[in-house]
Amino acid sequence: MAEKRPPRTLGPGHDQFWEWCGKGELRLQKCTGCGALIWPAAAACERCGDGEMDWQAMTGRGKLVSWCSFHQDYYGGMLPLPYDCILVELVEGPLFLSNPSGFGCEDIEPGMAVAVRFIDCEDDGGAYRLPVFARV
Amino acid sequence: MAEYGALVMPPSIPELSRKAAIVGVGETDYHDDYRAQRKPPPGYEPPTTEALASLAFERALADSGLKRGEIDGLTGSFTYGGPPPAELAALLGVKPRYNIANGNIMAGPLPVVCAAIAEGKADIVAMVYAVNSRSVGRVFGGATHLGGAEGYGTPPSYYYYHPWGWSSQAAHWAMIFAHYQMKYGLREEDLGAVAQQVRVHASRNPNAVMQTPFTIEEYMSSRYIVRPLHLLDICLVNDGAVCLIVRRADMARDMVKTPVDVAGWGEARIKHSKFDVMVRQQLRPQLEEAGGQAFAMAGLGQADIGHFEGYDAGSMHLINQIEGYGFAKPGEGVAFCQAGEMDLTGRLPTNTEGGNLSCSYMHGWSQVAETVRQLRHEAGSRQVAGVRNAMTSLAQTDQAHPLVFARGD
Ligand SMILES: [Zn+2]
Repeated sequence: MAEKRPPRTLGPGHDQFWEWCGKGELRLQKCTGCGALIWPAAAACERCGDGEMDWQAMTGRGKLVSWCSFHQDYYGGMLPLPYDCILVELVEGPLFLSNPSGFGCEDIEPGMAVAVRFIDCEDDGGAYRLPVFARV
Repeated sequence: MAEYGALVMPPSIPELSRKAAIVGVGETDYHDDYRAQRKPPPGYEPPTTEALASLAFERALADSGLKRGEIDGLTGSFTYGGPPPAELAALLGVKPRYNIANGNIMAGPLPVVCAAIAEGKADIVAMVYAVNSRSVGRVFGGATHLGGAEGYGTPPSYYYYHPWGWSSQAAHWAMIFAHYQMKYGLREEDLGAVAQQVRVHASRNPNAVMQTPFTIEEYMSSRYIVRPLHLLDICLVNDGAVCLIVRRADMARDMVKTPVDVAGWGEARIKHSKFDVMVRQQLRPQLEEAGGQAFAMAGLGQADIGHFEGYDAGSMHLINQIEGYGFAKPGEGVAFCQAGEMDLTGRLPTNTEGGNLSCSYMHGWSQVAETVRQLRHEAGSRQVAGVRNAMTSLAQTDQAHPLVFARGD
């Protein structure tokens, strides 16, 4: 059963990100000029302004940098409260915002190791796979 | 969205320092308006943007002792819409030679006016700000925040992470504090001291929306908005208006009330890696850079500042600014507050009117009004004794805009 989720940002760049997720791969844009990894997807490198970007595969592993738990309903009841968000530092460097999978904010320890997995979701743009993170 | 619109700040150069002074302030009745909107008496209509703006202007004009006909400059700043320049002038009964729509939130509009005065475009400018976020039912967070053309200027962190349920300014401050806790070993209740201190200040301000002090136990039992932050960590949403009357500094010396010189300003924004800069560095590079610009322009330093107004959209963000500008060491901002250093007799009396948390959410404008009262030494029971210089800081999730003020006598 796909989970109904609030809307993704779609369009050039973003669509490719979700296509890779659909294949079970976490890929971020990498600037061919300065090597920066960019997320969310951008038309040009936010660091050096270069316009050439490749989609680079991430290992999907990282460590937990921060978290928060939503008690206020910002999405009209679509997401059961409370629910948690986490900030993960990917081993490649970028910080990736996501949800914990199989653990909650009570279990969080600074720097705990996590790895990506994909869950079936849908929004008005259709069915897609959402990257979330489980303990390793 | 114009809220984050690209208002071009004049350069932070000593040549523009102290060229203009604030000589009049006016504010609306935050406390009474908030109460009336929560429990409307029969037939109550919330005040319009125009009515709020007019009231603030009339009060500022009376405060300045100037005559209406002397006003030769006017700017309007409105967060959710307001009258265009010509209509605003007609509404207020003034005939300005300089009249512009001037962004909306502080701090940009004030340097713009100071530079205009230095360039001779006007000698006395009335700056009007009004916001009616509560009566228009403004929602902070959720899928109303969009990217693309509709959401022009909105930071991606306000909308991009909807699929993971990430939304609201509160979530930004929550994630910063959760990381701060891990890094420095703070307990959740430690942060309560910040909102508590600001409320103590507000208890001395009859115009503050919220004036009743609370205990740390009451803080902890207030509901979570985005854990680890409680309701009391998040700013108010209320309607109101502020007017500042700004005069050419050399013409402002013989007025009834002490002029308050605009001595310095700065600006810095996150250019990339927002989560890293915001969460792991608490916006420190931007606060240091912009603070450095403002101090250098004013010829002053941290030790000269006797009163601070920081943008407490969330309690944690006030700590980011206290640390980032160098008033406390990294990781020591909450302890600085717990030790009473933000109280009236502390090293840095902070948000003495009650800030955005307890007084009024005027997007920085009411904090400038409070700075003027403090530097004039007319803040009554919440006066910081003998204060001569002050800093007022606007800071969003990705940018910092400090202002430095000096008593002009
Ligand atoms: Zn680059």
